[in-house]
Amino acid sequence: MNLWNRLMCYCRRRSPWLFHMNAGSCNGCDIELIASLTPRYDAEQLGVRLEGSPRHADILCITGPVTHNSVQAIKTVYGQVCGPKAVVAIGSCPATTNVFIDSRTVDGPLNKHIPVDVFVPGCPPRPDAIILGVAKAAEILANRAALKLPVEPVAMPLVGPGCGDACACAAATAPATVASAPVPAAREAQP
Amino acid sequence: MNILTMLWNNLRGGSRTMLFPARPKVSKGYRGLVRFDPALCSGCAICKFRCTARAIDFKSGKGTFTWSYDPGQCTFCGRCVEGCKTHALSQEAECPPVYVTIGALKKAYTVARKPAPKPAPAAPPGPASPEANPATGGAQ
Amino acid sequence: MNLTTALARFLIFPGLLFAVPVAWFFLWVERKAVALMQGRIGPPFMQPVYDFVKLLGKDTPPRSGVAGLLMRMWPLIAVSAAAGAVGLLPVLPSSGGFEGDLILLLALLELPSMCIIAAGFSSRSIFGEIGSAREAVLSVAYNVVFLLAIVSIAASQHTFRLEALAQLPASPLRWLGVLAILVCLPAKLHLNPFSLPNAEQEIYSGPMTEYAGPELAMWELSHGLEWVAATGLVATLAAPHVTFVWLAILLFVALSFAVVLLLSVVAAATARLAIDTTVRFYWQCSLIFAVLAVSSALFMRLLS
Repeated sequence: MNLWNRLMCYCRRRSPWLFHMNAGSCNGCDIELIASLTPRYDAEQLGVRLEGSPRHADILCITGPVTHNSVQAIKTVYGQVCGPKAVVAIGSCPATTNVFIDSRTVDGPLNKHIPVDVFVPGCPPRPDAIILGVAKAAEILANRAALKLPVEPVAMPLVGPGCGDACACAAATAPATVASAPVPAAREAQP
Repeated sequence: MNILTMLWNNLRGGSRTMLFPARPKVSKGYRGLVRFDPALCSGCAICKFRCTARAIDFKSGKGTFTWSYDPGQCTFCGRCVEGCKTHALSQEAECPPVYVTIGALKKAYTVARKPAPKPAPAAPPGPASPEANPATGGAQ
Repeated sequence: MNLTTALARFLIFPGLLFAVPVAWFFLWVERKAVALMQGRIGPPFMQPVYDFVKLLGKDTPPRSGVAGLLMRMWPLIAVSAAAGAVGLLPVLPSSGGFEGDLILLLALLELPSMCIIAAGFSSRSIFGEIGSAREAVLSVAYNVVFLLAIVSIAASQHTFRLEALAQLPASPLRWLGVLAILVCLPAKLHLNPFSLPNAEQEIYSGPMTEYAGPELAMWELSHGLEWVAATGLVATLAAPHVTFVWLAILLFVALSFAVVLLLSVVAAATARLAIDTTVRFYWQCSLIFAVLAVSSALFMRLLS
């Protein structure tokens, strides 16, 4: 690894910017995520910043079993996150749908729709466990980008249909397998 | 000006932050990962029935049974622990670990069924029973 | 000021080479001070550098058309304007300058917020539009106070030349002007209580919503340089005149640091105000200040 790569790896680990997304969660995990920014746990000591826009973030933190209403939104936002990125599934819900297993409104665990890097179990997980998960995700992101492994092949529209903008990484890698994940037509027809 | 005194106290009093790898100790009754003791398990499968998230699976085999547990599915409610009559289940007072591959924390134990205990010999009818029966009969 | 001096002031001191590390330092000081006042430890010392380098390494979404070209252009204009504003500051005792460079400084200080407004609109995102509209309204409101303050300072000392302003002994009107500028700084630098344009989680980062990667790094850099320019302006106006070069530089940095700490205390102690309260505050402020400034300027004219 040459000097630039090493520098980028070093800096990517120390500057994880989060975007938090709720995929139908009960809000318990969301509250614990916000609690990790409070003085006792202070995620900012790792350089964590909760960003307002997915385009600014590196790490996408998703809570909640993925409900039908949120599937398209999750995929869109995942496509909007730029550059080397990582996904953290906070709580047991995104990992396995937890108590909502076999529910009619829940569409599978999160890694059915987008690639997930770190799972933080707990219902809800403690804020220090969430911070540990974010730190691990930053490390995975930095190493993956340094090794230039083929990554997250998703091309997602901007805001609104047919915008055609996508992250530059999508053009270079394999065609989207996630974007064409089979979604039953009957479920799509439901309002 | 209350806020300024608060800021000043914060500056003087130091931060309450735990520096990163340090984590606060969990309290005594913390409900973490479920621990299974094969020696105590009687194979009743009440834990599977009581589990709210279907994290516990119980499969019967010939003379053995398999008890498996998926912490990723678990909601750490503790109903299985409460329902276990032989106290084979307990919960760790520790935070479940972060994992990277899905299903990494799953555990399964195959336990040989214990031979059934011999039924105790029938108790001889005591002096109290004939008197008790008419009383219950009368009450009904 | 000839071309070499201008380039040296723009690129080396107090321009980019000096101002960029100072900008990162001030950004860290603000975050750390706010964190300490909130009872937590803040980010490590090199955090703004890590953020900047990490942003340089991110991908950007492809931008198409004229809007895309404009989107790429605004952060660069903002960075150069802010760097130029820092370069014009009369830090050294005999730094030269030209007649009217105060007006150029004001224009260069305005450009970054103009660029933010234009960037929000050219990103064609609704959140960008809302954020830019708020920034525009805020800009009009605080600029009245800001410009009145500068003009009254300049008029009271009968000069529009920064170097002369820095050298002349301060009059009471100058302190009033410095106070007015300090009141405008939280709005200019997007700090609480006037941090409305980049209200996170409310309008998804406002004008910056669609920016990513190196463009965002340039915006962060222009924000840092704005910090240096704005606090440096207050520092040069408030500092007594010294002839020794290193003492002048030290005084400049120390006074800017003091202003940064003051702004951090204000940012930690207040919450974000809504747009109507903010605008009302600034218009009331400007009315009071305008009356005071004009009356004292007339008074001093009558006296002299």
